[in-house]
Amino acid sequence: MAEEFNTESMLDMFLYESGQLLEKLEGIILEKQDADCFDDADINEIFRIMHTIKGSSGVLMYENITKVTHKLEDVFYYLRESHPDDVPHMELVEKVLAVSDFVTGELDKLKNGDTPDGDEKQIVEDLDEFLGRLKGEIKKQGIEMPQANRHVEPTQFYITPVAGDDSHFYRISIHYRSDTQMSNLRAYSATYALKEVAEDLLYTPDDILSNEASADVIVAEGFHMLLQTKSSKEEVIALIDSSEAEEINFDELTKEEYGNALGEFGREDASATASAPAAASKDEAKDKKQDAPKPGDYVVKTKEAGKGKTLAKHQPKQQSIISVNVEKMDALMDLIGELVIAEAVVLQNPDLKVPGLELSNFQKASGQLSKITTELQEVIMSMRMMPLTNTFQKMRRIVFDVSRKLGKDIELEVIGENTEVDKNIIENITDPLMHLVRNSVDHGIEENAEDRTALGKPAKGKITLEAKNEGGKVYISVKDDGKGLNKEKLYQKALEKGVIENKPITEFTEKEIFRFITLPGFSTKEEVTEYSGRGVGMDVVVKNIQNISGRLDITSVEFEGSEMTLVIPLTLAIINGIVVQVGDSPFVIETASIKEFVRVGEDSLIYEPSGEEYIVLRGECYPFIRLNQRYGLPNSVDKVEEGIVVVLEHEGSQVCVLIDKLLQEQEIVVKPIPSYVKKIKGLSGCTQLGDGSIALILDIAGLLMHDGERR
Amino acid sequence: MAEELEKNEETDELEGLEEEDSQKGKFMTFQIGKEFFGISISYVNEIIAMQPIAAIPEVDDYIKGLINLRGKIIPVIDVRVRFKMEPTEYTDRTCIIVIDVKSTMIGLIVERIAEVDTIADESIMPPPSLGRKDHERNKYVYGLARTGDSVKLLIDPERLIKQEDVEAVMEDARKDEQS
Repeated sequence: MAEEFNTESMLDMFLYESGQLLEKLEGIILEKQDADCFDDADINEIFRIMHTIKGSSGVLMYENITKVTHKLEDVFYYLRESHPDDVPHMELVEKVLAVSDFVTGELDKLKNGDTPDGDEKQIVEDLDEFLGRLKGEIKKQGIEMPQANRHVEPTQFYITPVAGDDSHFYRISIHYRSDTQMSNLRAYSATYALKEVAEDLLYTPDDILSNEASADVIVAEGFHMLLQTKSSKEEVIALIDSSEAEEINFDELTKEEYGNALGEFGREDASATASAPAAASKDEAKDKKQDAPKPGDYVVKTKEAGKGKTLAKHQPKQQSIISVNVEKMDALMDLIGELVIAEAVVLQNPDLKVPGLELSNFQKASGQLSKITTELQEVIMSMRMMPLTNTFQKMRRIVFDVSRKLGKDIELEVIGENTEVDKNIIENITDPLMHLVRNSVDHGIEENAEDRTALGKPAKGKITLEAKNEGGKVYISVKDDGKGLNKEKLYQKALEKGVIENKPITEFTEKEIFRFITLPGFSTKEEVTEYSGRGVGMDVVVKNIQNISGRLDITSVEFEGSEMTLVIPLTLAIINGIVVQVGDSPFVIETASIKEFVRVGEDSLIYEPSGEEYIVLRGECYPFIRLNQRYGLPNSVDKVEEGIVVVLEHEGSQVCVLIDKLLQEQEIVVKPIPSYVKKIKGLSGCTQLGDGSIALILDIAGLLMHDGERR
Repeated sequence: MAEELEKNEETDELEGLEEEDSQKGKFMTFQIGKEFFGISISYVNEIIAMQPIAAIPEVDDYIKGLINLRGKIIPVIDVRVRFKMEPTEYTDRTCIIVIDVKSTMIGLIVERIAEVDTIADESIMPPPSLGRKDHERNKYVYGLARTGDSVKLLIDPERLIKQEDVEAVMEDARKDEQS
């Protein structure tokens, strides 16, 4: 790295790293949201994440982030060290998410070049209160637990070591000058110094490190310590840093006085259990608690102390990832494309076609070469693919948030989150998917659990998010077991809103009626909620999906639930295409949009006086486009009988196109037409064919649009 | 590591400067019809032989189509047609000069490559604004250079690509950024 201190790159690093960590954090939290508690590994991980973010934000002086993460770190430190059993898990989950949201918000501000100025007080207070409650509950039960984050072995604190005959007891009170900065840190350094010689050390306020406010308390009321040590008074005084201190009171106590003083420090029970071995007392305490769970605990009582049940499903392992400039990837892809072509040129070289040539070794070698190049191609293709894991994780969060806000009990099942999709596509489906999931939670699942049980369904709603890869397409479905769609209601609503023509309901198929909900300005929800119901969602969803040449399928059974399925192409960069020829130019048509090839006679054509032509196939009438006329291509067939008619379909509308002949079927790497050439309607890109020549890719939607305009 | 990199960058820069210097005043000259034209060599990427061109429909007639340059698809324009001259048959002397204008790669079809000429700044004269019937031509020619016994018309490739074309490029680039 450069020697100079570069905040820019540090900031980038910080943003990247923290972003990753937060994502991981959310993953852990949501994975365990329904569990009884976090297991040790999770607690350690969360602790570590908070610690890292705290550290790096501290270096960059983003104080609010530091404070919030520090506080949460405290909470998890406490959880880690004390293994309290009755942690209100849901509340903890909420707290962590609140922190994660706060930090994410601040990071976003940083990304936009703003100052992170979010107010952390509320969250810090909440966490303080929460942590206090955790500790408080334990105190009520009379069990001694370590304090949070003293940065020392907790076992040193919860048992008074057996005092030897030569032990001295001291009460030390330090009063700092009122203008002392960071008095809590000074106090901490004092305790740190004393720990060296201490057999036991108690101090108040006891949250000097974790609580910034303790600094004020220390300045106002002084810092009090109880020390049991074998060292003499002089030795102890020498250890205490007296700078900034206004006054140090040093009283030697007797053993009895010391015991009483312990009480003042909130440690009544310490002396009672003093002689018991540390571990034993802790375990006993735990056992006691397990036997007598308090009413109103959130936690399922049958679990092992401090250990969460290991869930059957595991979060996929974080993959190690390097980021590569997309341009380099594209260059590599181009080169591999070239390599494949060059390979074809060599292997099918006319020089090899000399009769009587002995080629068996050559064939073997070329077979090997082909294998490698094919594999190479597959690898480069797969490099553009990313699993849907992160996208699905966002959905977990949405289900969690929305269901809690709406007071619905909903379980989310995720299937196939490892399905890989082109990166561009992932970016394009996140928003639509979010909307669908939100809709399912809000509209799909019944308002009241009673409504569900009355129908014989489990009280807990269930949403299934599933991704699968089938036949070159990716299917992502959001399925709920809620109300389902009511056809009658949809129809009435559509009529009311005037989004459909006034036709009787019987004229519409089930699919058509369901499709009403994707029309602009349609929403059956009577009241608008925070999450959905404004009727500006589904049409946008459909539009976004169509932009990446996908579609939305809706199926639903009333009272049983609905399923929304996004059908999207695996990748935008590669399509399966048919190469056709018109005149001297090759064109590519995406295989998926081809309905059929037919040869028709002149008699199937209908000429309109305006010059329009239609074609009649099996009694159906389709618009007819002659590509050669449309694009002014010479040397092509004019007679319908001599050419081939391709029936193309796009979003339910069909068009027939006349071409000269079919060349081949091929996997095609889509490249944009150079931007220097203006955009041409009906062409979506170009590609290189096997022989290195260039073919243009027909865009069915563009052809149809063009056709419409011409009319 | 960092130091090494820096050094490399420095030398690269130096080389770049030298290259700039060595390119200064050098022009790739080519023939269209009877006239000789020159284009500053700093724009020229490479010269390739004529190759099959995939025609694109619905574009201006001077845009001949697309060629595949080692996996890169670039548009080619026929300079002769661009200058509103009658198109001629392509021969085996016909070449494509691949130029890079504002990061847009474009191929120029020319009848014949002449040579690389060094033309001093002082021998470049502005084209006469009057006295020519065809004002169109002056749009692309920014100077006349006399070398030896012939006059060469110096072309500004940025003007050769029509202004509206560049705007279209920019617009597309913006769109790309947004999407």
